[in-house]
Amino acid sequence: MKKLLMLSAALSMGASATLAQETTLNIYNWSDYIAEDTLEKFTAETGIKVVYDVYDSNEVLEAKMLTGNSGYDIVVPTSDFLQRQIAAGVYQPLDKSLLPNLANMDAALMEGAANYDPGNEHAVIYMWGTTGIGYNVDMVAERLGEDYEVNSWDLVFDPETVAKLADCGVSLLDAPTEMIPAAMNYLGLDPRSTDIADFEAGAAHLEKIRDSIRYFHSSQYINDLANGDTCVAVGWSGDVFQAMARAEEAENGVEIGYVIPREGALQWFDMMAIPVDAPNPEAAHKFINFIMDAQITADITNYVWYANANAASMPLVDEEITSDPGIFPTPEAKERLWGATVYDARADRAITRLWTRVKTGQ
Amino acid sequence: MSEQASITESKPPESKPWIDDTQQPFIRIRNITKKFGEFIAVNNVSLDIYRGELFCLLGGSGCGKSTLLRMLSGFETPTSGAIEIDGQDMAGLAPHARPTNMMFQSYALFPHMSVEKNIAYGLHRDGLKRKEVNQRVSEILTLVQLSDFAKRKPSQLSGGQRQRVALARALVKKPKVLLLDEPLAALDKKLREETQFELVNIQETLGVTFIVVTHDQEEAMTLSTRIGVMNAGEIVQIGEPREIYEYPGSRFVADFIGSVNVFEGQVTEEDTDFVIIRSPEIKADIFVSHGVSCTSNQKVAYAIRPEKIRMSLERPKGVKNLLSGTVEEIAYMGNLSVYQVKLATGKIVRVTQPNLVRTDQNSITWEDEVSLTWDGAAGVVLTS
Amino acid sequence: MSGQAKLSEKLPEKSIGRLPFAAPLGGALARLGLGPRALVIAIPTVWLLVFFLIPFVVVAKISLSEVAIARPPYLPLWEWQDGILSLSLNFGNYLFLASDPLYYSAFLESLTIAGFSTLFALLIGYPMAYMIARAPGGMRNILLMLVILPFWSSFLLRVYAWIGILKTNGVINHALMSIGLIDEPIVMMQTDFAVYVGIVYTYLPFMILPLYANLVKLDETLLEAASDLGAGSFTTFLTVTLPLSLPGIFAGSLLVFIPAVGEFVIPALLGGPDTLMIGKVLWNEFFSNRDWPVASAVAIAMLFVLVIPVMLLQKAQQSDGGHS
Repeated sequence: MKKLLMLSAALSMGASATLAQETTLNIYNWSDYIAEDTLEKFTAETGIKVVYDVYDSNEVLEAKMLTGNSGYDIVVPTSDFLQRQIAAGVYQPLDKSLLPNLANMDAALMEGAANYDPGNEHAVIYMWGTTGIGYNVDMVAERLGEDYEVNSWDLVFDPETVAKLADCGVSLLDAPTEMIPAAMNYLGLDPRSTDIADFEAGAAHLEKIRDSIRYFHSSQYINDLANGDTCVAVGWSGDVFQAMARAEEAENGVEIGYVIPREGALQWFDMMAIPVDAPNPEAAHKFINFIMDAQITADITNYVWYANANAASMPLVDEEITSDPGIFPTPEAKERLWGATVYDARADRAITRLWTRVKTGQ
Repeated sequence: MSEQASITESKPPESKPWIDDTQQPFIRIRNITKKFGEFIAVNNVSLDIYRGELFCLLGGSGCGKSTLLRMLSGFETPTSGAIEIDGQDMAGLAPHARPTNMMFQSYALFPHMSVEKNIAYGLHRDGLKRKEVNQRVSEILTLVQLSDFAKRKPSQLSGGQRQRVALARALVKKPKVLLLDEPLAALDKKLREETQFELVNIQETLGVTFIVVTHDQEEAMTLSTRIGVMNAGEIVQIGEPREIYEYPGSRFVADFIGSVNVFEGQVTEEDTDFVIIRSPEIKADIFVSHGVSCTSNQKVAYAIRPEKIRMSLERPKGVKNLLSGTVEEIAYMGNLSVYQVKLATGKIVRVTQPNLVRTDQNSITWEDEVSLTWDGAAGVVLTS
Repeated sequence: MSGQAKLSEKLPEKSIGRLPFAAPLGGALARLGLGPRALVIAIPTVWLLVFFLIPFVVVAKISLSEVAIARPPYLPLWEWQDGILSLSLNFGNYLFLASDPLYYSAFLESLTIAGFSTLFALLIGYPMAYMIARAPGGMRNILLMLVILPFWSSFLLRVYAWIGILKTNGVINHALMSIGLIDEPIVMMQTDFAVYVGIVYTYLPFMILPLYANLVKLDETLLEAASDLGAGSFTTFLTVTLPLSLPGIFAGSLLVFIPAVGEFVIPALLGGPDTLMIGKVLWNEFFSNRDWPVASAVAIAMLFVLVIPVMLLQKAQQSDGGHS
């Protein structure tokens, strides 16, 4: 029975591929951010071949988008970057008549995203998440005591605490617009402030803990946490959960936790958008619509452990995930989340320069 | 050549320590053998060399002469046997610990150092004070007439100048023995002849014992007090140049040194003061006017140098050794001419005649019928 | 004799018969004043023009521009409006480089890391090159092959292999801990040590090959001469082998030093945040800061700081070589 199914799938795949005349869709997405079978299913359904590249920083994506002629049909910037790139004329408006599955989307979350993209004209939420702390339960307990409760930014931002963890490896995301506001928030400043003095205060605090940081990187920590090569990582929710899953799979005895600290954390939306110079916008629309299918999006969430914004998919998502407050925060936790700010060129330059200074220790 | 002969021969007998039984050899080489794998490069060589000698090791390429020299300098270790210099056993001594210095065939001058630095190199290694180094370098530069070239690099010198730098560099260390590997081979003929005398003069001035390796028999004759002729890893004859030339002990030596006519034959009569050899090759009997240690009927070879044969158009009367033949080739060499005379048997005999007059009138020419004759003591009977 | 004469008569006829293709091309070039010699010079000139000079001018142009969130992410240098050409040159990027110690330190650290890496590569590479040059014929080819062998696999793969070797739970730490030499793993990844290991490992063949080419030519009788004149083997090395191999040392060091200064991948993958190298700074300017004008200014400054001294040095050495 199973064999028969596979055979028919292969047949239909071949048939549709010839019909579509070898159309290719070029996707540029975050690393470790899709289910294993999503692309296969898309090709099987539409006959469109997919070329899939990955990145791990909004800055790199933006550099490519601003250069132009990237050749990508779909890219997935985070909301704040999206807004600025829309202003720079990077993306084309979506043809909503080609996106019937928009009806599946969670209206409240889409409204949140509309803060960055008025009327949701250019982009649809792919996944969303928080920027919190991933940690190795045993290693942290060993250094801070069995009773230490990991629930605060103290773990990385308190110089004394983080110094005790330096030997087992602490990493920060290489993302200025996430790390500096997080430090500002820890200092009691408004994380959404665009005041350069506030940036400077945040950066100055980061410099205090810098000696305890092993590296600044936005994807390496997944493997390092999973293998026990590092013990604390400021990271994106789903990535930490993936590290957790990898450690479980490897059965290496590494136990990993993810926490949205009580002081609050950044909530972000990763948005699917189509560059103005996309070679194949039609296929791009098909792909966005395909992702918004309840089952497909549920599959991705079940695989990458990131929350989606697809209301229709919720019943299909594993209980284990929907019930995890690290992925779907409790209402109280939600209160303390903040959305990303959009920086103008001046603020952007200031925050990136400060970040360079923090990273390099200069 | 005649000049050189006078140098060697003008030496009083006391300067020939090898004929004086009371003299101790300065260098003793005892039963030295060197094998490279299965190949025997030097085979059981024993040799005594005396203080102040200029000793030449002469032989063709691959005869083992260079290997012997390298064993003296310490670059090769003998497979068996012993070398002793001035009473000191050389076994296990590295090249830099030996009282020898070497002048290399390629000169091996350090290309990155000036002439004076090349020469000073060995003195600095001995830890001499700068002042003494400078003094000795300038002395030796004067000796080899290179004082004006002290600051030049080897690449800025001519071949002859480089040769002198190499010599100076080896000599400045005042070695007990200077080893020279084909010291003149890289020079052109004219320069080589001049340098030969220079080398002898320097050697006599300094009194250092020289051991020279060469393949050039003329060079060996000119330079040496004695020559050791080598063949296939063995020393086949040791002697003064005249001895080697006039009394070669074997066909190899006779052949290797100079030009020679060899007639094969058999002893027919043998007495205390003469020998007669019958040689079918020339269809004649050869009369030897002195006794030879051989037996009747023994097969021997008779070697005679081309310049020892007289040639004439008329047939001389009352002579013992007489051949006749036809002039086939004449090579005019300036000071002398070489004639190839074909005998009735087909054997070719080489004869040289000094060119006593400048014209070629009345002289012997191609196709002439000539008579050849020589004294009973002019040739050598070779039993090996 | 007569046969030879005939042969030599025939030859030109034959070669004329073959020439018709070449003749028009040669003629055309000759009419343009381009002999084969000019062509030989023209090809590298065009190459340099297209692949070095033009990109260089483009980068220089961007370095005088101002950053913007636009496509491309900088403002144009000139504008044509109402018949007025307005040119705006922004030297602020260069002033910024001069004012921010980051760039100065990055240059300095790049030079330091590249310098020490070159030294280490020399210290490791020299004995290897020497050994290979002195090895018997057949062995020599095998050893050379082994030096070149790593090039057959991807450079990135080899750097990743080093991550596996150096990391906290990596091969070295496992080995040391299992034999009880250490109790706690040694942190080697994300340190300057790892960067040195990576650079020295990667560029070692570039040090060995020119050194080998030099040392294999070394006349062994020079060593014998030194030994004969009283030098021990170490003195011989210092006074003869080493000075004569200076051209090889110079070539090898340049081949290691120049790419090491601009190295990005190795410090990015093996280095920590403290490893401040100009290649990383450049990458950071382009991709993280998206500041093309400053990035371009860094590139131009790097060219002047590094390439020009090296060129002068090389020229000095050439003229020195010409004298001797």
